[in-house]
Amino acid sequence: MKTADIFRFNGFRIIALTLTSIVSAAGFFWPFFSSSNKSSLIFWIATPLALLLLLALIGQAKLDAKSLALLGVLSALIAALRPLGAGAAGIEPMWFLLILGAYVFGPSFGFLLGVQSMLLSAFLTGGFGPWLPYQIFAAGWLGLLAGLTPKIKRIEIPLLVIVGLIASEIFGVLMDLQFWPWAIGPKTQLSYLPGAAIGENLNRFFSYHVASSMAWNVPRAIFTALLIALVGPGVLSALKRASRKANFVSEIKFI
Amino acid sequence: MIKFQNVSLIYPTSQKTILDGLNFEIGEGEFVLLIGETGIGKSSVLRLINGLVPHHTGGILAGNVEVGGLSTRDVRPGELAELIGIVGQNPVNGFVTDIVEDELAFSMESLNLSNEVMRKRIEEVLDLLSLASIRDRKIATLSGGEQQRVAIAAAMVLHPKILVLDEPTSALDPVAAEEVLAILQRLVHDLGITVIIAEHRLERVIGYVDTVIEISADGNTRIGKPDEILKESEIAPPLVKLARALKLPKVSLSVRDLRKDTENIRNTGNEVAQRHEVLGRELIKLDSVSVHYGDKIALQKLDLSIRGGEIVALMGRNGAGKSSLIKSLLDVVEYKGTIKKHITKIGYIPQDANDLLYHQSVKNECDQTDKDHSLTVGTTYKLLNKLVPNIKQDIHPRDLSEGQRLALVLAIVLAPNPELLILDEPTRGLDYSAKELLIKELIARSEKGAAVLIATHDVELVAELASRIVILADGDLVADGPTMDVLLASPAFAPQVTKVMSPRKWLTVSDVLKAIE
Repeated sequence: MKTADIFRFNGFRIIALTLTSIVSAAGFFWPFFSSSNKSSLIFWIATPLALLLLLALIGQAKLDAKSLALLGVLSALIAALRPLGAGAAGIEPMWFLLILGAYVFGPSFGFLLGVQSMLLSAFLTGGFGPWLPYQIFAAGWLGLLAGLTPKIKRIEIPLLVIVGLIASEIFGVLMDLQFWPWAIGPKTQLSYLPGAAIGENLNRFFSYHVASSMAWNVPRAIFTALLIALVGPGVLSALKRASRKANFVSEIKFI
Repeated sequence: MIKFQNVSLIYPTSQKTILDGLNFEIGEGEFVLLIGETGIGKSSVLRLINGLVPHHTGGILAGNVEVGGLSTRDVRPGELAELIGIVGQNPVNGFVTDIVEDELAFSMESLNLSNEVMRKRIEEVLDLLSLASIRDRKIATLSGGEQQRVAIAAAMVLHPKILVLDEPTSALDPVAAEEVLAILQRLVHDLGITVIIAEHRLERVIGYVDTVIEISADGNTRIGKPDEILKESEIAPPLVKLARALKLPKVSLSVRDLRKDTENIRNTGNEVAQRHEVLGRELIKLDSVSVHYGDKIALQKLDLSIRGGEIVALMGRNGAGKSSLIKSLLDVVEYKGTIKKHITKIGYIPQDANDLLYHQSVKNECDQTDKDHSLTVGTTYKLLNKLVPNIKQDIHPRDLSEGQRLALVLAIVLAPNPELLILDEPTRGLDYSAKELLIKELIARSEKGAAVLIATHDVELVAELASRIVILADGDLVADGPTMDVLLASPAFAPQVTKVMSPRKWLTVSDVLKAIE
């Protein structure tokens, strides 16, 4: 017999995660494949439904008390960190903790942590709207990505700094993508052109992304990387100690 | 109700057997005290009862633990949740919500009880633990005793048959501790609940409990009535030590009984000279110092002078101004009046010693101290080794026991040889041997000319340690004088030995022994 493990997706929940992620990904990437602006309306309904389905399935998994406690504390911390930087361009102190937490506790937990903290912080910032399910999925994916970072002890912090940079950039791309079809009206050189070739729209999108990035994504990436480099070692050792103390998958023997 | 049969335990990452063939049985409606040295496995026993060990921690469990007819081999801790209520060492760590009532409802909501049941049970438990007047308060604003009562209430709403508490009174002042113990006794007597506590401060709890279980280092377990067990136990409160030192035929657990047995000694004993100290130069002088927080006066026109070689105990209720006085000495709070300091080096140990520890290992902490004060490398660790030998260098400071952690903090603060050492409630959660360590080191420092200012509720500590007592009440200085005079002036606050020997002026067991030599 062993003590409970940290939460992991397994069996049909992996399939559910994959399928709902595909639906949600389609919700981000439709502008490149659809000929009509109206497609987005489908995804405004489909993405939240996919999210609800996934959460319901996770809820059924009966999280172990220790995973639940860790998830509760960490997502509360992350959610509380989010409004701290609101207003200032790209200064979002939440990402570094999500990345470090996901790194220590693994990809499944990382996904859950991203989802949970984004949802929770929406309550704090009042950021409810059609964009919320997109933000939630994006945060979940970033948690998953950070959780997949290879654990090489010697270059842990440099590796995580790079993950921080990449993750911030991905989040920036995804959020821009989600906003881009509506952002700047139909008439400009950077606008979404319904029905145009993928290449044309990709070109327009990345021009738009680069233009808008300067304000948000670059500062966010730098700030996140900086936080990981500065407070990463301390936070990491606290998280690892918590993980050790939680005694996941320790042998239980009765003799 | 609870049955331990040949229980031995090994934790996953260790080679050491924690408990070795533990055998005992506890009946329904008993109030049981678990004693034993630090690290002997008291907390493990408590957590074995509800199956947290080994189901949550892992490990190898030999023997059988049976609770209410169920073996913890077969049931998971969650299934025992309604049978056993558990209250951890520091209740603040266990609170989930902000408001008292919400906290009480939380566990019932987790079990999905109906609203009517929840309302009824909350009212019931509010009355049972006398919490009705603070039901709407924020938990963070409550006193230590109130918080402990809320934690007990939160465990009681599920109507457990067994209540398990790990050091429920260690962090409390004497009044709050009595409050909590009286409530526990009421639960046992009125509701027939079985209560099991582990506690270091025997002098407080021994009068309340029916049964004592002593776990000794050699693996022997003894279970019996308090006076039987304490007659020979390694750990003993001052009353028992006094009875043993005087070679009385029986051990009394109340002041009244012991007074009857010692009448003769009171009549014939000699006067004992007060501890003689060499007073050094004036180190610090406060001249009409006041501290205000908004409208609230925390300290009012206080005059105080501390000389080298003195050990000054700062006493008084919570909120009497002890912390404000200390903070003004440390210049971390704004004050009116003047404080003249004739020294440069002040050492300070805050109430929660953890606040001083922020490195990842004992070694790093020690090295940092050496660096901060430009000491020879290794000085701090050497001092630590002198205080408590054999602390591993690579261990995380928060994984140390309370006593070891205090030793580490002492080493860090004492390494640069401060001329004035300030301690805020240092004995919370310490066992007798850790306390002795503290007393020995502080007295040694004062003999070398340093002064010590120690804020505490622990009269037994004061009796052993302090040369002078300052009592504050509502920001005013109400008493300032030699330990003997101040302690004798207020019988309620006197240490146990003094209560027994009043009106004679003996504070400690060794005083009494000297008197009858």
